[in-house]
Amino acid sequence: MHRMIAITAASMLAAVLGGCTDQAGGGGAGSRDQIKVVGSSTVFPFTTIVAEQFVEKTPGVKSPVIESTGTGGGMKLFCGGVGAAHPDIEDASRRIKSSEYATCKANGVGDILEVQVGLDGIAFAEAKNGPGMQLTTTDLFKAMAATIDGKPNTAKTWQDVNPALPTTPIQIYGPPATSGTRDALAELILARGCEALMPDLADLREKNPADFAQKCTRIREDGAYIDAGENDNLIVQKLQSNANAIGIFGYSYLEENKDKLNGISVNGTEPTYETISQNRYPGSRPLYLYVKKAHLGAIRGLREFLKLYVASWNPGGPLVAKGLIASPEDVRKKAASVVSWETPLDPKTLP
Amino acid sequence: MTERASIGTPAPTDWRDAAHQRRMAKRYGAERRFRWLGLGAVLMSAGFLVVLLVSMLSAGVSGFVQTQIALPIDFAHSRLTIDPAKLRGPGADLALAAADLGGATDAAAIAAYGPEGDALLSDGAWTRVRDQLKADPSLLHRRATVWVPAADRIDIAAKREGAPADEAIVAKLNAAHALKTSFNSFFLTSSDSTDPTMVGIWGALKGSLLTMFVTLLIAFPVGVLSALYLEEYAPHNRWTDLIEVSINNLAAVPSIIFGLLGLAVFLNTFHLQRSAAIVGGLTLALMTMPVIVIASRNAIKAVPPSIRDAAFGIGASPVQVVFHHVLPLAMPGILTGTIIGMARALGETAPLLMIGMRAFITAPPGGLRDPATVLPVQIFLWSDQVNRGFVEKTSAAILVLLVFLLAMNGVAIYLRNRFETRW
Repeated sequence: MHRMIAITAASMLAAVLGGCTDQAGGGGAGSRDQIKVVGSSTVFPFTTIVAEQFVEKTPGVKSPVIESTGTGGGMKLFCGGVGAAHPDIEDASRRIKSSEYATCKANGVGDILEVQVGLDGIAFAEAKNGPGMQLTTTDLFKAMAATIDGKPNTAKTWQDVNPALPTTPIQIYGPPATSGTRDALAELILARGCEALMPDLADLREKNPADFAQKCTRIREDGAYIDAGENDNLIVQKLQSNANAIGIFGYSYLEENKDKLNGISVNGTEPTYETISQNRYPGSRPLYLYVKKAHLGAIRGLREFLKLYVASWNPGGPLVAKGLIASPEDVRKKAASVVSWETPLDPKTLP
Repeated sequence: MTERASIGTPAPTDWRDAAHQRRMAKRYGAERRFRWLGLGAVLMSAGFLVVLLVSMLSAGVSGFVQTQIALPIDFAHSRLTIDPAKLRGPGADLALAAADLGGATDAAAIAAYGPEGDALLSDGAWTRVRDQLKADPSLLHRRATVWVPAADRIDIAAKREGAPADEAIVAKLNAAHALKTSFNSFFLTSSDSTDPTMVGIWGALKGSLLTMFVTLLIAFPVGVLSALYLEEYAPHNRWTDLIEVSINNLAAVPSIIFGLLGLAVFLNTFHLQRSAAIVGGLTLALMTMPVIVIASRNAIKAVPPSIRDAAFGIGASPVQVVFHHVLPLAMPGILTGTIIGMARALGETAPLLMIGMRAFITAPPGGLRDPATVLPVQIFLWSDQVNRGFVEKTSAAILVLLVFLLAMNGVAIYLRNRFETRW
């Protein structure tokens, strides 16, 4: 009996290891019958909805694999090369950088389609029974920045920031440094507040981005800004139990928890669907898909998947029902034409 | 002289002496305190366990039931263009996909429950209509009532507190007997979805099973054979000491490091597929193996040398001694160590995130090389979902994980009792 166990175990081991080696031979090249998507956690929920409908509407197709790696991490995988081993689509919560495009080029990725999916807003919110704050980007910069004009930030209460605000202590629950939402927070809110406060720094942004980031977008670490991890539901819970705190997360979380939270107006604009879609709310940002043109013919169903995406992002469509903010009509038309004509991205337009 | 004698032979203990009584009371007191402390520690850990289980059960049990709405559909008079003959052949899926079942389901809901009727149903309600049609094509010729899942806000209102408007709808539906709550067997048989009324745990459970299968297949034989070699054959010198220290160190390495190792070795060097169960299994095997080696060595050491001497004495070869006597006697300890290692691997998330097993996949993996996810990662993904319907699903998934763990431990206890020998 023992011998039998030993023999079975050995043969199973051999089978598994054998599987490994022939996988190693076939993993790098060839075709794949399954769409692979990587990238931003903000775009992830929308891509999953499209993937789900794609599977339901196309019998016999294999379910797409969608991984939420963050925009930066996804770009690394996406630009790794062409072929079955590399993803077909990158979800991005910002535009591709010219340095990333150069990596893609160097690895032979070739033409890339850039498709704007819609918009997202970084919403500031407080509990229903909160003080009803009205903030400006300058207030937010003064409350969150690590240093103001080279001196450490000492503001303890909102009144220290702006005499018109209440005397409650500054308590802000927000995303961690690894999050795309944090990048957007730095770019859309802190940089604007910083430039409004110190106009002479505006040139620095072009000339010395690293120095600009150090002066304008570094967030304080003395406890006023509380890193709540990647779990936005946790921030919602914290706000409910602490009426004086404010929270920062994607607009869809505010929309889903409207009965528990109030949006905080920034520069006099409330975070609502309308204000974000009209680009009036300061915390709105576009979301993108990047697609490898070389994969369009090679990966089964990729073209149909993109067409379904185009059909889903209109106002009143399934993606908007789940929290996406539809882009203005001309942007949608342009994005749809990129998909139907397969127009590659012009690298000269990149920042 | 008399002084010396009094030092050499102490006076007999005087049991009624006050000092002696005090000392005794102190000793008994210490004994009692220690017993109370021990009991307190046990009660405290049991209390934590009870709190955990109660909170999980109270939040999670409702995840296993589903609110359903009766949907009367008149298939005969709907504008569905399906040839009933096709539903019996292999082209059934194609024929059903081509028909606008979603539209027909919404139209039926609007006809039955007013202009907002389609919003009462889950977005995936039409897939149940489709499954019913596939199971019974004769429905196409008549009127039928299909029970379909309710939208998540109706589901929440029916189970717990919902928005006042939804509660009113639930009361109205209940009065019309158009609402029922039944066991959600779909939860155990389907995979991830973006809609909490349509999600299932089977995809993640199967991913966990496949991953654990690979882990066990690699870590158990390699671990046990290394332990046997180190204990029974290897000479004791500087090299084996070095190996022993390395194995002990490996057992204490944080799991994320193994994830990075898996990423570097299996994905970047061997080019295995990202997100595949085989890569997850191999990575977790690296993590589990040192635990198995350490537990097995201790179990082998605990086998009395007299057993080996007796076996050698009647002429058994070293291999016979090991496989006929030492290994079977050490088996209970080896299995306990293996199960502890496997249980840790089952609950592991960090290394699997590194190798991409956190993808959204709507179908269960078909094999070891298909993209898969595992139970703890699925729990992690659901806990971060925007939709509030996922709260109970997260707890329900935790319950499934706990049951899986209990089943694994049960198997270990059974095997241990079967192999156990007392002497």
